[in-house]
Amino acid sequence: MSLITQFAETAAPQEDIFSALGIDWRLLILQIIAFLVLIFLLGKFVYPWLMKSVDERQANIDAANQAAAKAQAAAEKNNEQVAELLAQARQEAAEIVSTAKLESSEMVATSEKKAKKSAEQIVAEAHAQIGKDVENVRKQLYNDTLELVGLATEKVVGSTLGKKADSELIAKAIKESK
Amino acid sequence: MARKLSRRSLATYVSETLLSGTGRAKVVRELAAYLIESGRTKELDLIVRDVNYNLAQKGIVGATLTSAFALEAETKTAIERFIAAHTKASKVSIDTVIEPSVLGGIKIGLPGRELDQTISHQLTVLKTRYKKA
Repeated sequence: MSLITQFAETAAPQEDIFSALGIDWRLLILQIIAFLVLIFLLGKFVYPWLMKSVDERQANIDAANQAAAKAQAAAEKNNEQVAELLAQARQEAAEIVSTAKLESSEMVATSEKKAKKSAEQIVAEAHAQIGKDVENVRKQLYNDTLELVGLATEKVVGSTLGKKADSELIAKAIKESK
Repeated sequence: MARKLSRRSLATYVSETLLSGTGRAKVVRELAAYLIESGRTKELDLIVRDVNYNLAQKGIVGATLTSAFALEAETKTAIERFIAAHTKASKVSIDTVIEPSVLGGIKIGLPGRELDQTISHQLTVLKTRYKKA
């Protein structure tokens, strides 16, 4: 600082345009040199570090942006897949429901058919059984009637047949047997 | 102990004895005594059947008539003729049995065959033949 002041003091007597404008050209040169040195130092040591830091930061930001974009794309893709899966699931569910309805209706129809067939069979068997029962009752009635006729004939013949009639009966039997 | 006679030998002996003119009562007594002594009384029916068969072979037929009432002489004669005609027997011997349960008609029992014309038999036939199973 004292050097700068010394230059200013020595240059003061020269009167030129710079002096007129209040500018000390030596000081200006020194300042320029100092500025250039500063720029050089900054460019040599500070800017590269700063730029590197900025570049790294930019790179990080870019990487983060890319990752975010990828994540967003992946999310969108996932959303699409989820939507597709949901649509597929809805379609499958609808197919399952329609198949189940169809199967249930078929089962109901089959059950009705079986029940109808079974009922018809039961009715037919009942008819057949009734027919058999009626036939058996008729046979039993016939046999009972036959038995009663025999018993009645025995009673009537036993009480009415006399010796004379018996002799005639025997004669007739012998005649028929010849 | 005497040798055991076969049923056929007994029947042959009895029938030949009867044919020889020996009294019927005597032969029957001998047979009864033998059967009792030898403990073969259960064979009596079979022996009588064999005797009747042997006699029938010799032309003497023994018939058993079963009826509900006592038979008249005329009826008996007719039956004898009937039996003689059918068996070609020279002599017909008749035993009569009164059995009210036959109701009426006549049952003629001959060696090896039988003619049943009784009312009870006909009723039985009616009840069994026309009965529905």
